[in-house]
Amino acid sequence: MATVGHWSLLLGLGLSLYGMLAAWLGARRESPAGAASARAAVVGLFLLVTIGMAILEWALLTDDFGLRYVALNSSRGTPILYKISALWGALEGSLLLWEWLLAGFAVVVVLLYRARHPDLLPYVIVVLLAVSAFFLGLMAFFSSPFEQMSPIPADGRGLNPLLENPGMAFHPPTLYLGYVGFTIPYAFAMAGLLRGKLDADWIGSTRRWTVTAWYFLSMGILFGAWWSYRVLGWGGYWAWDPVENASLLPWLTGTAFLHSVMIQERRGMFKVWNLSLIILTFALTLFGTFLTRSGILSSVHAFAGSPAIGTSFLAFIALVLLVSFGLVAIRSDRLKAPVELDSMLSRESAFVLNNVILLAATFSVFFGTVYPLLSEALRGVKASVGAPFFTLVNFPILVVLLLLMGVGPLIAWRRASPDNLKRNFLLPALGALAAGLLIIVFGYRDPRVVLILILSAFVLGTMTLDLSRGVRARRTTDGGTLPALRSLMARNRRRYGGFIVHLGVVVLFVGIAGSAGYGRQLEQTLTPGETLELGHYRVRFEGLSAAEASSHFRVTGAFTLFNDTHQVARLETAKLYYPRDQQPMAEVAIRSTWREDFYLVMTDFARDGTSATVKAMVNPLVGWIWWGGGIITVGTLYALLPNRRRKPAQPRGTR
Amino acid sequence: MRRLIPVAILVLLPVTLLAPADRGRPGVRPLVGLALFLLLAGFPGVVLAEKDALEARVHSLAAELRCPVCQNLSVADSPSEMARQMRDLIRERLRQGERPEAVKAYFVERYGEWILLLPPPRGFPLLAWIAPFLGLVGGLAGSFLLLRRWVKRSPGTAPEVDPAYLARVRRDMEERKNG
Repeated sequence: MATVGHWSLLLGLGLSLYGMLAAWLGARRESPAGAASARAAVVGLFLLVTIGMAILEWALLTDDFGLRYVALNSSRGTPILYKISALWGALEGSLLLWEWLLAGFAVVVVLLYRARHPDLLPYVIVVLLAVSAFFLGLMAFFSSPFEQMSPIPADGRGLNPLLENPGMAFHPPTLYLGYVGFTIPYAFAMAGLLRGKLDADWIGSTRRWTVTAWYFLSMGILFGAWWSYRVLGWGGYWAWDPVENASLLPWLTGTAFLHSVMIQERRGMFKVWNLSLIILTFALTLFGTFLTRSGILSSVHAFAGSPAIGTSFLAFIALVLLVSFGLVAIRSDRLKAPVELDSMLSRESAFVLNNVILLAATFSVFFGTVYPLLSEALRGVKASVGAPFFTLVNFPILVVLLLLMGVGPLIAWRRASPDNLKRNFLLPALGALAAGLLIIVFGYRDPRVVLILILSAFVLGTMTLDLSRGVRARRTTDGGTLPALRSLMARNRRRYGGFIVHLGVVVLFVGIAGSAGYGRQLEQTLTPGETLELGHYRVRFEGLSAAEASSHFRVTGAFTLFNDTHQVARLETAKLYYPRDQQPMAEVAIRSTWREDFYLVMTDFARDGTSATVKAMVNPLVGWIWWGGGIITVGTLYALLPNRRRKPAQPRGTR
Repeated sequence: MRRLIPVAILVLLPVTLLAPADRGRPGVRPLVGLALFLLLAGFPGVVLAEKDALEARVHSLAAELRCPVCQNLSVADSPSEMARQMRDLIRERLRQGERPEAVKAYFVERYGEWILLLPPPRGFPLLAWIAPFLGLVGGLAGSFLLLRRWVKRSPGTAPEVDPAYLARVRRDMEERKNG
């Protein structure tokens, strides 16, 4: 079986290369036969990679420890869900998953765009297959998931226990859907450059891909945060770990891209800029994988990597940047657009500022992430850059971003007159200030939190103002407020879907502000019956118990949580000992309400059961972060649905 | 009773936001809605109380030190045994009246600059501070200059709207309203 798997990769590589050639010839000579053959190659590639996936998954499920990958990442005791997810639990498997998603997307692209873009499609195929060839080559020659092992061990080493969590089962595939999704708009952009026809067509046709990719990337990041919060046991959800940063980078540029394409669609400007953004985004998705897989930076995510993988990734990224920007340079004469701007105060400027800010964030996160490498390379001193640095540097950026979220959607295109500004922003600004006073009265004193909340109020105010105006204008024709709101939003799902997403982002930021500014914690050693007090919570230690589970040994501490007045919950937090790991894993207990989480983790215990050391935390508003993610989901779906069609208007008069 | 307030706000919020505003005073309702939203956002803030001063200082210092045995967690956040000992050490030294800078210096001496999560603002590490700042300021200045150039270049007026077309739009809208 392993041989079949390996050959499926090699054949896939060959097919990718052949398809590239066929598509290229087909496009150049404009021969339909070449293009058709390339399309068939894409489908064939997908089938081959699917066979590879199936073989690896089957091997995992049937405990075939003859495969090195299975022996290292699964065991007989591993639960079914995690046998499945072990496929992306380590380097080789996750490369295979990536390649499989890419091949799958390529098939969808071929099916969707065969009729719509017959001239562009061959070039798109060239680009997609080139990326595919890289990943297949990597697996075939440097890190094959089908490497065999002898002698065959009796049992596997098991999945990394940190990854035995539902969050971890979903986080990588979601993230990869985002990463790979951005390959599609990139491929269309490159195809346009290769072909030399450079209208905004590629943007329109790939809008849904971009939005979807952005969505999955966002959710991937959030799943990761959720996992970090529930599994790592440190009470936080974002550690500014190098690999977390690496996933944030393409998100930032992708977000910039999502916004700046609107100027090109509307005004035909910023062609080179948009191309650069999508190239950068694609390169950063590769960079993210490179950081994860090469192990050059210490991180929770670092897999044992081989230098060859790192070098190949770096080389490929360099190649991508060189070729892509080279193409932009070659075509630059055709990319010149008449840029004109009527006023510094306009929607266009707001978009430009949005882009500058997002890219500044990208740069600072990137720089902070690679700074330790720089320091070691340039002066031989090991250095760290951690959470305090990133929060400090990114805070002003976040503030401006929030402000723009309020201003951008309402400010006029071309030129915003003082009257327009007053009409759109005076009320929300006053409302936000009033709200700010209220927040201070309510006891928030941290200036950073207050600022974020004021700006959040401003964003909500502008959106509300815009919606209520639209609703008021339509209410008589649509018969009521709610129907008016529904039909208003359905007329421009892209805009109002965007509003919902912005709402989700605001809720998320409020959650971040609350939990970052007002978290409280206490660490204490308790004997059975003793009570710890934190805020209006009291938690009583009931006792320890030990048990043997299929893959680990666990020591559980039982606790009772009290509110001011009454008993709220029984909490259990444990330490898990896995044979493959030196350090035990912590299992946390969380009691969530809409305004705060009570978070309990046992850090230590006495072997005779007479005491346990626990860290208790009250994390305000953490739930809002996950709900923000939910709202973003709704908004994205809404934006992706087709606009409701107007009834065809009666032809009236002459043109 | 107090528990019902947020629920009531949640119910009232969409209603106030979308209810018709008085003709004379457009937008008063959204304002009310906003204030209510922030009531909602501000509500959990009531829970807070002052932190123990020493614990707070220990925490903020520990947050700037890297836990030596973990993957990228601070001494404040890490659940490991090592981090706990380091927190105890920090607490002891601060209690004896040592300045936070001195405590940091002690750890840097033992573990090297690597232990600091915030690069010290002098010498080579200053670069880590300057670079993002330069990126931001450079980006802002560059885009400002570019925008100004584009504004200067443009003819400066929006295209004139054909009066006849405008009249037709007005007439159509009237008809729609009445029909």
